Amino acid sequence: MSGPIETARDEGRRSLTEAEAKKLLDDAGVEVPAFREVDTEDEAVVAAESIGYPVVAKVASPEVQHKSEWGDGAGVALGLDSAEAVREAAAKILDRAAEAAIEASVLVEAAADVDAGTEVIVGGVRKRSFGPTVLVGLGGVFTEVLEDVSHRLAPVDRDEARAAIDELAGAQLLAGYRGHPAADLDALAGVVVTVGDLLEAHDGVAEIDVNPVLATEDGAVALDALVLLTEDA
Amino acid sequence: MNLRRLFDPDSIAVIGASATEGKLGYEAMKNVADFAGPLHPVNPNAEGAVFGHAFVDRVGDIEDTVDLALIAVPAPAVPDVIAECGEAGVGGAIVYAGGFAEVDERGEQLQERLAEAANAHDVAVLGPNISGYFMPHQGIYTSFASNPDVVQPGNVAVVAQSGGIAHSLAFQGVNDDWGFSGIVPLGNRAVIDFPPVIEYFDSDPRTDAILLHVEGTADARAMLETCRDVETPVAALPVGEHDVDEFAASHTGALTGDFDLYEAGFRQYGTPVLRSTTGLLDAGHALANAPIPDGTNVGVVTGQAGPGIVIADRLQGHGATLPALAEETQETISAVLPGITYAENPVDTGRPMPEFPDLVEAVARDDAIDAVLVYMVYEEAAGFPPSGIAGLPTELGTPIVFATDGPEAFVEDSLDAMEDGGVPSYLTPERGADALAALLEYGRLNRDGGGE
Repeated sequence: MSGPIETARDEGRRSLTEAEAKKLLDDAGVEVPAFREVDTEDEAVVAAESIGYPVVAKVASPEVQHKSEWGDGAGVALGLDSAEAVREAAAKILDRAAEAAIEASVLVEAAADVDAGTEVIVGGVRKRSFGPTVLVGLGGVFTEVLEDVSHRLAPVDRDEARAAIDELAGAQLLAGYRGHPAADLDALAGVVVTVGDLLEAHDGVAEIDVNPVLATEDGAVALDALVLLTEDA
Repeated sequence: MNLRRLFDPDSIAVIGASATEGKLGYEAMKNVADFAGPLHPVNPNAEGAVFGHAFVDRVGDIEDTVDLALIAVPAPAVPDVIAECGEAGVGGAIVYAGGFAEVDERGEQLQERLAEAANAHDVAVLGPNISGYFMPHQGIYTSFASNPDVVQPGNVAVVAQSGGIAHSLAFQGVNDDWGFSGIVPLGNRAVIDFPPVIEYFDSDPRTDAILLHVEGTADARAMLETCRDVETPVAALPVGEHDVDEFAASHTGALTGDFDLYEAGFRQYGTPVLRSTTGLLDAGHALANAPIPDGTNVGVVTGQAGPGIVIADRLQGHGATLPALAEETQETISAVLPGITYAENPVDTGRPMPEFPDLVEAVARDDAIDAVLVYMVYEEAAGFPPSGIAGLPTELGTPIVFATDGPEAFVEDSLDAMEDGGVPSYLTPERGADALAALLEYGRLNRDGGGE
C-alpha cells in the first residue's frame, strides 16, 4: 500500500505536506476542514466555490514548514470571502513561490470560526528510549509559556486520553467556564488516541504536531498538522 | 538472566583480594569477612590467608561452586576476569571499578567487552562503577561505606541508579529505624538494568514494596512496563526534570522531555512518583506495611487542631477528599466524648483523651472512609502513645498512618510499637500526610480502569 508517507519517502522528503498530513488524519477518523490543493488561481476559485466561503488559502510546499512566516506574510491568507479575494491570495502565493524558485501549490480550506472553540495542541513523538508517546495541551500561551501539557506513552485508550486532558492545569477552560460551553472532550480524546495509534502503526513517523486542534462543543477539528518522518526508512 | 546467585549467594569469591589494609581488595574482603558460607580470596600474587581464608591463584582453582564474585581489579582487567569467572561457573559478579562508559570512548569499548563476556557465559554482572549492594537478611554488605551492617533487614527493596542515592536511602532508613529486603545500586548497567532487578524483588517473599531511583535508562519503556506488570507495589523518584531536549523539530518534540515521560509513564503504569529521597522512602514504608486503600476519602483524627489543618490542606492538595462522617460515626464520637471540639472531619479532640483510639476506630469503620491519618504530639497526659490503634488496620482492612512530633529518643519505642501493629508512623505532619498521599495514589492508579 502506498500512502503519503511512502510517497514523501520516495521523494526524499522528511516531512509530509499539510494536505498529506491532513489526509492521514482524515483517513484515521480525525475531523479536518474541507480542503483542496490546487495549482492555479482559477482552480483556487473553483475550489473555494465548491467548499463555500469564507476560506483560507495557504502555501503548500514540502519546502515551507512555517507557512505564516513565509513570503512576507503571503503564506497564509485568512477569511477570504469572495472569488476576487481568493484569486488575489492564490496569485500572491504562486508569485512568491516562483520568485523563490520553489515548487508550491495552494491549499484552499474551509475557514474555521476559531472564536467558537478553544485551541488545543495534540502531538506525538517517537523517543528512542520510550517508543511512541503522545501529548495534549492548551494552545498558544498555555503551551508556549506555561508548558501546561500532559504526556502519555502510546498507545492510549480513550479513558487514558481523557485523564491526560483532565489533569491539565487549564482543563477548566475546556470543561466550560463563564458561559462558554464545554468542549466535546470525548472527541478531543479521540484525536489523542488517533495520534498515538498513527505513531504505533507507522514506524517511519517521528513526530506529529496537530496544532491547533479546535475543540468546540460539537467536536474537535484539526486546523493544522505537521508530520515529520524518521531519518532511516 | 537469573539473579538468585548474585543476590542470595551460598558462596563468595573476592577477585583481587588483598591482605594489605586500605587496598580495595582488602576492603572488599573485610565487607564479607563474616559471611556464613564459603569465602575465597583470589589473587595469584598473594600468599597465605586474609581474615582466616587461604588465598587461591585463580577462581577456576576453587573446588566448590562460587555463586558470587566480588571483582576488585582495575577496569582494564575486568572483561577477562568476567570470562574466567564464567568458565568457572560463577553465577553473579559485582564490578566495583570505574573507568568504563562513564569516562570516555575507550571506557565504553571496555564496557562492551565486559558485557560480551558476561552474556557469553551467563554471568549476572552488577555495575561496573558501583559500591556494592546491601542484603541485610543474608547479612551481606558489599558496600564501602562505614558500618554498612547497621542497615537492618526489612520488607522494602531499593533499586537505585546511583550508589550515592542507595546509601542515602540506606542511612535514612537506619535513622528512621526501618529495614530493607535489599538495596541495589545499578551503576553503569552494562549487563543488568532495572527490569530483572525489579522482577527479582517482585518474586522475593521478603519484599513488600520496591523503590526506584532513576536518572535515565536506554530502554525506559521496558522498565515502565516491568513496573506495570509486577504485583509488588513500586514507587519511583525520577530525576533530571530540568534537562531539555535540544534537537526537537516540532512543538511536540520540544515539549516532550525525558523527565516528563518518566513521570507520566510511571503514573500511567501504576507507579506513584515522588519528588525527594525522603518522600520516596516514606512512601515505600507505607506501601509495604499498610493495606492499599479502596478510595481517596480520608478521615483525619488529631489531638491538636493546628497540625490537623496542615494535614488536611496537604492531603487535599494531593487530591484526597475529607468527607463528612456518617451520622452514626458522629454519634459514636459524641458518646465517647460529649462536647468534643470538632466532631466532623478532621476530628479534633483538643484535650486529654485516653479514649483516642476508640475515636480512630469509629472513623476507620465509617463506610465513607478509605484511610485514616492520626496525629498527636508527644504528650503522655493527652494519651500519647495511642497504642490502641495498633492492629486496627489488620482487623478492619483500612490503612491507618500515624504522625507525631516529639524528641526522637522518647517517641521511637512508641513508633516501633505502632509499626508492629501495621500502622506506618512518621515524624512531622507533612511526612505523614505525604506518605498517606502516596498510598492513596497507588490505590487510585491501580484500581480497575487503571490510569489517572
